[in-house]
This record gives sequence, C-alpha cells and structure tokens, in this order.
Amino acid sequence: MNVHPGQAARAKGPLVFLDMDQQALDDAYDQEVYAPNRALIVERRKTASGRARAILGMPKRAAYGRSEHEELDIFDCGKAGAPVNVFVHGGAWRRNTAADYALVAEPLVRAGAHSVIIDFINVDQASGNLFPMYEQVGRALAWVYTNAKTFGGDRDRIHISAHSSGSHLSGVVLTRGWREENLPADFCKGAVLLSGMYDLAPVALSKRSAYVKFTDDMVTKLSGQRHLDGLNTPLILGYGTCETPEFQRQSRDFAAAVRAAGKPVELIEGLAYNHFELLETLANPYGLMGRAMLRQMKLVT
Amino acid sequence: MNQAAKVQEAKGPLVWLDMDQKALDDAYDQFVYAPNRDQVHKRNMFNSDRVRARLGAPKRHAYGSKPMEQFDLFATGKPNAPINVFIHGGAWRTRAVKDYAFMAEAYVRAGAHWIGLDFDGVEGTNGDLLPMADQVRRGVAWVYNNAKSFGGDPSRIYVSGQSSGAHLTGCVATTDWKDYGVPNDIVKGALCCSGMYDLKPVRLSKRSDYVAFTDESEEKLSSQRRLDRLNCPVIVAYGTFETPEFQRQNREFAAAVKAAGKPVTLLVGEGYNHFEMAEMIGNPLSLLGVAMLEQMKLV
Repeated sequence: MNVHPGQAARAKGPLVFLDMDQQALDDAYDQEVYAPNRALIVERRKTASGRARAILGMPKRAAYGRSEHEELDIFDCGKAGAPVNVFVHGGAWRRNTAADYALVAEPLVRAGAHSVIIDFINVDQASGNLFPMYEQVGRALAWVYTNAKTFGGDRDRIHISAHSSGSHLSGVVLTRGWREENLPADFCKGAVLLSGMYDLAPVALSKRSAYVKFTDDMVTKLSGQRHLDGLNTPLILGYGTCETPEFQRQSRDFAAAVRAAGKPVELIEGLAYNHFELLETLANPYGLMGRAMLRQMKLVT
Repeated sequence: MNQAAKVQEAKGPLVWLDMDQKALDDAYDQFVYAPNRDQVHKRNMFNSDRVRARLGAPKRHAYGSKPMEQFDLFATGKPNAPINVFIHGGAWRTRAVKDYAFMAEAYVRAGAHWIGLDFDGVEGTNGDLLPMADQVRRGVAWVYNNAKSFGGDPSRIYVSGQSSGAHLTGCVATTDWKDYGVPNDIVKGALCCSGMYDLKPVRLSKRSDYVAFTDESEEKLSSQRRLDRLNCPVIVAYGTFETPEFQRQNREFAAAVKAAGKPVTLLVGEGYNHFEMAEMIGNPLSLLGVAMLEQMKLV
C-alpha cells in the first residue's frame, strides 16, 4: 500500500504551494515517498532492458551533437520508411541512461517502428542547469528528423514518448516551434508523455531546488504549460492514481490547459499505478500506455 | 518490502524446515511479502475492463450444472485455433475470472482462444479442495469435448494458472483422465506460476483455518507426488520477492519434474512479487508471456 506521509498527522507548517506546507510539497516531488518499491522496479526495468537487447540485438549508436552526452540508441525494425519513436527518459533530471530503457523498444520494433532512445546530459553534470538538457533533447529530435532516412526512418512519422523529467523536457521541446532550426513546426506527429511536470513553479519551491538551480528565467522558459501557442503535436498524457498529488495534478492541469487552448490532448488516468509502475506499461503492447502509444502511431487500431 | 517474517523476536519450535509457526504462517500469507496486493488487484480489474472494451465481452459457457461451473471465452478470429485455459488464484477463495481478462488479449491476438474458468472457492465446498480440483478438471475435459463448437483445436489445449490456480493447474496436469472419459494427453502444456505442489506445509500453516485439509486431499492434490501421471511440458515460475515458501515450492517442483525425466522450464522473475508475476502473463513480451506463447508455438 502506498503511504501518504503528507497526509499523516503532524502539525502543518505555513502553506508554500496550494494546500501544501514545505514538507508536503517536498514529499510531492519525492517519488520514493509515494512509491516505496522504486528501487525494485528500477532493477526489473534494467533486467527487462537486458532481455530486450538479447532479443533485438544491440542498438546502433549515433551521435547527435558534439558533446560526449549527445548520443542515441537506434533499435531498427528492419523496414525502410518506417515510423520512428523517440524516447526521452526520466530520473528527476539526474539519473538513468538510454541503456536502462531498452525495454520500451520491443513493442515498437515488433509493431513495425524504429525505436530511438536518447542519452543527454544530466542536471548534476550541467551544474544544476536544466537548459543544456532541454537543448540536447531538442537537438536529438532535430537530428532524428534530419537523419531519419539514414536509418530507414520516415521523417514525416516521428513520435515521442517520455517519462517523468523526460516528459518535462519533451513538453518544453514540443512547444518551442523549431523556428531556430528552420524545421517544420509540426514535425513531431504525436507524443505520449507519462507522469511529467509542465509548470516548474512548484518544483522550484520544493526540495528539488537543492540540486536544480532554478531561476525565474528557467521557470518561465522551461514550463511547457506557459508556451502552448507553440504546441503543434497531439498529446496523450498519462499518470497513475498512486503517484504523488503533484505528479497527478501536473498532468491533469496540463491536459486542461492544452484543451482550453483548443489543441488535441487525451488524458489517461492509470488506476492503481505509481510513478514507476506506469512506465512498465509502456513496454507492453497491451499495457495501458503501450497500447496508447501504438494507437497514436497508427500501428494498431 | 515488508520483512515481517524476519523481525520477530524469540523463535518458537520449528514446524516446517527452519520455520516456526509464525514464519510458516507468514510464508503462506502473500500480504506479508506483497504489501501492494490490493493495488495490483485494483489495476487487474481496471485493465480487464479495458481488454473487454477492446475485444468485446467474452462468450459465457457452462461446463457443469453448478452456478460457478462456467467460463469466459475470448475467441480468436482463426478457425481450429489453439486454446489457453486459465485457472485463477486467490488462495482457493472465491474469485471471479472476469478480473483476469487482462491476460486474454496477448493470446487472442497471437491466434489462440483464451478461456478463463470460474469455479467454486473453498467457501462453496466446506473448505474441501477435492471438489475444486474436480471442477477445473471437468472444465478442461469440457473444453476438449466441445472445442470444435467454438472453433478450437482439441489437440492444442494448454493450461495456465497462478497461485492457488497454479496448484490446481498442477493437479490438472497430473490427472488420470480415464476418470473423465477423455484421452490421457489432452493437455499439451502447462504454465504453473507461483503455485504450491506439496500441500503438507500449507496444511501446517494458518491456511488450515479456512481450508479443511485431509490426508486424502493432501495426498491426492499434491501434484509433486503424482509426477508419474504428468505427460506434458511444464513451465514453472516464481518471483524473487515472493514468500520463501512460494519460492521453494516452485523451485522444488521444477527440480522434481526434472528428476522424473520430464520436460520442465523454471523461470525466475527478478524483482517481482506474487501478484506482479501474474501481471506478466498478460504481456506477450515478458518473461512469462514469451514462454507461454512459445510453448503454444505461437511465436
């Protein structure tokens, strides 16, 4: 059972965000408080990724930028002109690598799509700055668009999937418009964003500011929800009902804002899933989020 | 994970292997080792609804005259298709197989019919396990005799089960089918996920409070003691976060089948608890899904 220490009996301090005091807000941005089986699921995600590599073979590795961090894994479905899914991993901006997420490739490859899983710098390597992470994720997507043909991908059918802080970064990238790169504003044809953050204001007030050097400029520019005019990609947003209150609210509020902006969005509420369990459903073609992803890519009905 | 079994104070007299009564009771109480039991059950129901929405409501058939002797059939589109018969768990208590429909899609889309059996729980049999084993055996025999009526291939029937359903699957796989008037090889393969195959330690545990074990039921329904009758390949599986007894039961059953010179595959779910193992059966790309589909020659 999930414990909700934010709701446990204790003297409540001054409110810092909505109805939360500092402790409750800190807990709401600490997955482990609400997902006590985090370490366990991380282990089995790595085991499943090893299985996926054993079955699919090692991915091709390509560089999308000059730094050591800017590389990506391509799991090739063997078909030319196939759609492409780009996965952006999470980990509170500070953990994980593409190799830990090979498990998301298998349902895509089997359904006839290439799976691209990107590496990028983490916030500790970037001295607490989220901008380099955002820029790298954007560069990776632009690289995939520009180079799709070289690995048999159809650049007109590029989709995104992402989890947690990867959904945050994707949410920002998807609202950037791509004018600087001179790319079509709508080249990402769809995105499935699991358990993300779309407004950084409450995050900046939480204990995550101990390792992320939030600035007003960062909170403004890197809150996808504040730049919906630049959004040209249909979204599917997912969250689990056993996630922290903030991670539930962020997805709900983002979905409502996108809808209010008159843009296409679907919100999927995963009953009885926590933050890490929801990600596992992406690796199952009949799982809650896996099915949604394949459906959005028109790989299944 | 909940380590209740390990934090007790003074150890009492040993009742089974190195376990005192409390340790043994805990080892047959899933909740002690899988605190997310209710959460997983909730999402099984949620996912079952979604599968029914995609595949349509299953056809309901009766395999006997009692109210619980019915099953859900999720039919695949192909004629003369193989059949997976699923036997649910729940510590032998009454459950509805509709809550396990989440497993069906992986098999239906791979070209097999998926049948989920309903049957009585111990509440309906005065605690006796023998009538339950008889029910599921009759269910499988009915499927064999009537497969053609729903487009099934009677020569490709596979049985799968989880927890107490894997116990019953073990019983089905070691049935003397002469008693049911069907050939002895009607089951072509079995998946026993997180089951029990020797009832002695279970009988010594607090499960005796609601299961009326007898010498007869212990002897007849301990499939590990009936391996001479086993004549299909078996996949045995457990998770490393299951109770010590549920890990041991599956390891030892697999070893016993192997020692009997019969085909067996032991699969270990690293980092999975009892209930999360069952979720894997519905994922065609998972350890268990792949194994089951391979056994059925669907991949």
